[in-house]
Formats: sequence, structure tokens, C-alpha cells
Amino acid sequence: MHFLAISNDTLFIYYLLSNVIYLGLLIVAIVKNVRHRHRLGSQRLELLKASPFTPPITLIVPAHNEERSIVGSVGALLGLEYPCLEVIVVNDGSDDATMEKLRQAYQLQTARVLYIADIATAPLRAFYRSSVDQRLFVLDKEAAGCKADAINAGINAATSPYICVVDADSILEKESLIRIMAGVFADPGRVMAVGGIVRVLNGSRVVNNQIEEVRLPKSPIEVMQVIEYLRAFLVGREAWAGFNMLPIISGAFGVFRRDLVLQVGGFRTHAVGEDLDLIIRMHRRLREDNRSYHIDFIPDPTCWTEVPTDLKSLARQRARWHKGLIDTLWPNRDMLFRARYGRVGWLVLPYMWIFEFFAPIIEVVGYSTIILALISGVLSKAFFLEFLLFGYAFATLISIGSVLLEEMTFRRYSDWREVARLLIYCFFEHFPYRQLTMVWRLQGIWQYLRGDLQWRSMKRVGISPNPVA
Amino acid sequence: MGFVSKGIEKFGPAGLVVEAILASLVGILLLVGFIVLRRWYRARYFHKRNQRTVALRSQWSDILSGKIPAEAWRFNALDCDIVESILLDSIEMSPAEKLPPLLECLRVSGLLDMRIYEARTSRGLKQRTALLALGRTRAMEAIPALAAGLDSHLRETRIAAVRGLGRTARMEAAIPILDRIVTGHFDAPERSLKNSLVNCCRSDPDVVVNYLERTHGPVRELLARVLGELASPQLGEELLVLASDSLPEVRASAARALGNTTTSYTLPALESLAGDPEWFVRLRAVVALGQLDNVGKISILLRSLCDANRHVRQRAAWALARMEPQLDQILEDVIATKDDYALQSFVSELERSGAIEKIAGGFPGSGRHSAGTHVMEVVAEARKRVGLTGKAAAAAGAH
Repeated sequence: MHFLAISNDTLFIYYLLSNVIYLGLLIVAIVKNVRHRHRLGSQRLELLKASPFTPPITLIVPAHNEERSIVGSVGALLGLEYPCLEVIVVNDGSDDATMEKLRQAYQLQTARVLYIADIATAPLRAFYRSSVDQRLFVLDKEAAGCKADAINAGINAATSPYICVVDADSILEKESLIRIMAGVFADPGRVMAVGGIVRVLNGSRVVNNQIEEVRLPKSPIEVMQVIEYLRAFLVGREAWAGFNMLPIISGAFGVFRRDLVLQVGGFRTHAVGEDLDLIIRMHRRLREDNRSYHIDFIPDPTCWTEVPTDLKSLARQRARWHKGLIDTLWPNRDMLFRARYGRVGWLVLPYMWIFEFFAPIIEVVGYSTIILALISGVLSKAFFLEFLLFGYAFATLISIGSVLLEEMTFRRYSDWREVARLLIYCFFEHFPYRQLTMVWRLQGIWQYLRGDLQWRSMKRVGISPNPVA
Repeated sequence: MGFVSKGIEKFGPAGLVVEAILASLVGILLLVGFIVLRRWYRARYFHKRNQRTVALRSQWSDILSGKIPAEAWRFNALDCDIVESILLDSIEMSPAEKLPPLLECLRVSGLLDMRIYEARTSRGLKQRTALLALGRTRAMEAIPALAAGLDSHLRETRIAAVRGLGRTARMEAAIPILDRIVTGHFDAPERSLKNSLVNCCRSDPDVVVNYLERTHGPVRELLARVLGELASPQLGEELLVLASDSLPEVRASAARALGNTTTSYTLPALESLAGDPEWFVRLRAVVALGQLDNVGKISILLRSLCDANRHVRQRAAWALARMEPQLDQILEDVIATKDDYALQSFVSELERSGAIEKIAGGFPGSGRHSAGTHVMEVVAEARKRVGLTGKAAAAAGAH
């Protein structure tokens, strides 16, 4: 009985603390966002595009069995507004027609370049250069079974001081590169990496691999993910970056200083969450070297990506994300509460352990003890009701806060009916979607403990010129 | 509301939690209300702004000529904002001869004075906005106010002042920036400084040279990079002095600048820089050589094709592969170097640029096909010698 009471109290404090931290992050994010918009007002992107001092950048596009979208995606990347661009598509041993489609569309010719393998990767088959657009290179390599290996090969071949990793099935807005690099220009000596925002593509109208009209998806499961993405990027990442504690830059869209990536040994091959892993190792290296640095997040350069449309794919994705989290936190556990790792070791990593990794475990234990306590009469129904209502209202407040942030800043959903739908879904996000996520994350922990690090494919609807039904 | 307070009382010690629930619910209501109100207000504002823009645009020539007195629009915040936006956009896009009436309108209406006053007395966002607007006016009288912004203790304000000065695109605007840079204690992003200096000094790069002579270390490097963008043949022998500077950044900039000149000393200077100990100086020299229309560069580029640095080799190959009339001779010369990497770079560049076909077309006499075959045989033999078969190409990755 005593245990049940302690467990309930712990769960209550845990839940309260988690939401209060998020509320704090929301306030910080609002302030940072407003400041960013003011700063943006003083920058003229067209001047940056015309400036001779804008540094070159290499886009690295790992592609594995992307025959459906690769030609369009590469075309869109070559159409990005950036003055000195190099695009390296890394064909990671695709067994479909990815390579053939690229060869035909871009008239690839074998190029004999000196490829220096600073980071060890699976063997290369050939290196091609396009006759249609000389900025495009295609690196054909043996499959290594992981995205990180393909990215590393791209990093080896890159010739620019900055690299940008982009998913082959994502869409970058035309100005996204110059916008994300504006974050680097602010302080090139200190800014080591910058992340952009990833938004949900489902439902929007796409023409020629560019977003023509931003719309919300139809199905609830996808709308829930829109809210989740807004909260994670506009609130979480924005605020953490404000304190120079950003723990992750999305693998779908991020810019890194190539020299630093090489110093940390590139992306860790076979890491489940290679993006999270890289940023944590960057923090480690920079703090060990006692360097003044900043890893930033900029909320306006946008990458649109397709999210799972069915529960099965979503479950796989969430389980994989959680595996990626453990796979990074565990090897870096020595950074916890160590003075040399500063706020990363004292704040962000403990936060990730307690409020990310342990969250599903604490929740499931909490739910079980609450039910037991209710049955055994240790917990009053009134307290139970209060607890439920409080948790629900507080979490909804934060979800609505992230929609507010979107409204105050970028207003991508211009139709008021779309915003109304977003707001309504904020009220339904915490039951049963949250509980389902908890189960999937538990599955992730279980799979990791069993040593199951397999990358399970996600069912994709594909980029469509019409809104996805 | 009686039932709420009764409910709180009934919960007893947990009343605080109920209050927290109520606070959360009130918070939700406030946020939703704010979103709805903001949407409504913005829709109304933009509608009104649109209407006023149409009205003011229809009277634009009268506003500009002063037929409609400034008092008619100047003291209405919305109208004033619209007119200023139109004026500044027009100034930015107008050639010099069309500027006077636009600037006159800014002056007569007092908009320019208002911005100068704001730039000098306001703080924070308002000051930064004023500084940027002043820069867009390109007016001489804006420069002192912008220069004063450089001395702000706030970094953001200093950046706005640097950008504002850059936007004036006037040589006079570069002086306050340069004066502060040479002290070595001016804190602003290097890229903003360089962009602004390039904008301001485009017509008179001599200003940068004068300051370059008085600086050293990182400031000297920064000015050298600016000079690299601006340098023109008018700089004359100053470039030769810079080409022998002790700082590699300065030498690299001189190399870049020499690419824009066609004097008698250009080629010897670039030849010397192409043999510089620093690879990026050599690279700049090779790029500059590529821009020259002078066959004398071939021998220098051939040496650079055998450089230890792959970037230098690639750029040398790029430049050589574009010398169409001499390609067949260059190919023979490259083979004669007996440098496998040089040949590899050159052959790759020939293939990529499609120049191999041009070599074939350039052979006289025995017919296009046989001439082409001959060239291909030469290349094939050379390839065989350096092991550039299909497999070997991939293996080259190991280097």
C-alpha cells in the first residue's frame, strides 16, 4: 500500500515536472522565435545569394531503392537557390532502378576523381558526374545496410567546407539552404552545425517537387504527427538550441561543418539514430577540446517530409526512434554529470534519460499502480480524476502553445479551418495517441534489449501532385 | 460559479491541484482566444493596408512631385509606412539618374530626418529598423547616423549599422567601418563586414589598399579578401606588392585580383604565385590563370597539373581542357610529364567537358573518323600506362 502511494506521488511529480519543463521551453522558444524574426528582417537573402563570400556547400543525398522519387528529388535539389552548390547522390547499393533512372535523366559519365576515404565506408563501385548539370555527382557504392555509411561516403567525396544531409524523399523549399546558412553566417567561427525545421508533407499539394499548397492531412493519425512535429521542432529544438544544448539535428535536413564531422569520425555506421548520435559526439568533442561553439536550430528553413500514414508504419518508426535514443545515450553515459561536458552533461542528457528514455517505463508503471491503487482504495477517485484532468489540461496547453508559435511566426497553414482543425486535434492528442506512442516506445526498448537493431521499412504513399486522401 | 468553489472545497487539501487545472483551462482559453483574435486582426489590417496602397499608388506621381503635400499622408501611421516602403523599394531598384526626385521626397517629407533621429536616439528593434532603412535610402546625410550605430554596445545594432552602411553602396560609408576595423577591436560578423565593404568600395578599391598597408593579422586577411573581390587593373603595381606579402591570405587575394588584369606583369606574377608554398595560394593563382586569354599560361598550368594538391591539379586540368586550339599538343605534353595523377586529372576533365570529341574534329587530312581514332588511341595508351581501366577508376578511390 505504501509502495502504491509513493508510486502515485512519484508519477504525479514526474508528470508535473515534465510539463513544467516543456512550458519553460515553450516560453524560451517564443522569445527566441520573435528575436529570430527580427534578425531575419535585417537580412536580405538576395544579398546573401549574390555575395561572393557565401561559402560553397555540398548536399549529400543518401539513396537506397528510391527509383520512384530520385529523379524529381535531385531536380528539386539542383533548383535550390544557392550560389555555389554541389550535389552528391550516394546510391547505397539499390537493387531497384535508382541508378538507371539517374543515369538516364542526368546523362551520368564516369568521373575519375581522387576519392580520399577519410571515413571508412563500404567499397565504391564508381563515381559519376552529370553532363546535364555539372554540380551533380553520383557515387555508386556497395550496400552497407545503413544510411550512415552512405552519408560518410558522401562526406568523403564532398569538396565544400559545409555539408548538408538531405533525405532523398524529402522536399526542401527553394530558399531553405540560404536561410539555414544565414544561421552559419551569423558567427561562422562558432557555429558548427545548424538544423532546420522538418514539417509534415502529407496532405499538401506538390508540383514539380515543390510545395504548391500547404494543407493538413486528412487522417487523424497524420494530423497528430503534425502537432508533434510542431511541438518538437518549434518548441523543443528551438529552446534547447537557445541554451546551446541542442541534442539532435534531424537526419532529414541539417548543415554541418565538414572538418568537424571528419574529426568526430563521421556518422557512426550502424547507429540506429545516426543524427542524434552525431550531435552528441560533436558536443563531446567540442567540450573536450574546450572550444567555443554553437550548435543551432533555425526555424524557417523548411524541409517537408512524408510521415507514416498507418499505425503499423508509425509503430515501427517510433520504436526505431526510441532504439536510436538508447543506442546513443548508453555509449555516452560517461558524459552524465561531468563538469567538462557542462550543461550538456548536467541538463540535456539527464533530461533525455529521465523524460525521454524512461518516459514509457515510468508511464506504464504509473498507470498500473494507479489502477491497483484505485482498486485497493489507496487512491481516492477524486485525486485520480484531478490527476487525469490536470495532466490532460496542462499537456493540451503546451500543444496549443506550439500551434500558437506556428501562428505567430510562419503561418504555413493559412486557411483558418486548418488552424481550427489543428486546435481541435490538440484536445485529442493525449488520449489514446499518447498511450499508443508509449507502447511503441516500449517495443523499441524491448527490441534494443533483444539486440534487434533492424531498420524496418515504412509504407510510403509517395509525393503526389494532389492532396493525399 | 458557486459549483466551482464548492467543488474546490469538497476536494479539500487537493484544492491547489484543482486550481492548477482551472489555470490550465484558462490558459487554453486564452491561447485559443489569442490565436482567433490575431487572425481576425491581421486579416482586417492587411485588407485595410491593401486598400490604402491602391489609393496611394494611384496618386503616386502627385505625392512624389509634392502636389499632394506630405502632411496629407505623413502623420497617418499606415499611409506613412506604405509611402516609405514604396520609396525605399524604388530607391533600391533605381539607377543613379532617377534617384534625386525619390530622395527629395524623403527629405521634404521629413521621413529621412525621422529615421536619422530614430537611429540616433532609439534602442533595440526600432533603432535597428531605422539603421537598415537609412542604409536603403543611400543618402549621404544618413552616413553619420549609421556610423554612430557602429559604436553601439549591442552587437545586433552594430551588425545593423554595418549592413546599413553596406547598402548605401557609397565609398564614404566604408570609411567609418574601416576606421573601426583597423583598431582590431570591432566585433561584428566577418561576412557582414566583407559584404558591406565590397558594396561600398566597388568603385574605388584604392581605399582598401590604403587601409591594408596599416593593418596586420586577421584584419589584414579580412581586407585582403575584400580586395580580392574588388581588385581591378586600375590598382596596377599595388597588386605586385600584395603578391609578395608575408600573409598567404593576402597573396591569395592578390592572385585572385591578378586574374582580372591583363598587364605585362600579370603572367610572371601569377607564375610566381602558382609555385607558392601554400596550396590555396597556388589554387587561386591557377584559377586566375584559367581566366587569362594568354597561351603563355600553358607551361605554368602544366606544372600545376603535377601539383601535390588535388584541388590545384583539378583546376589546372579544368583550365587546360578549355584551351581548345592547343588541346592536342597539351595532351602530348601531359603524357610527357609521366605523372599518372596529372594524366588522370586531365583525361577526366577532357571526358567531362566533351573536349575529346573536339580534339578528334581538329585533326586535318585523314578524315574525321581516323583522326578521332588516333586521339583515342593516344588517350587509351596513356590510360593503359597509368592503369585507368574501368576497375582501376574505382580503385583510384583508395588514393
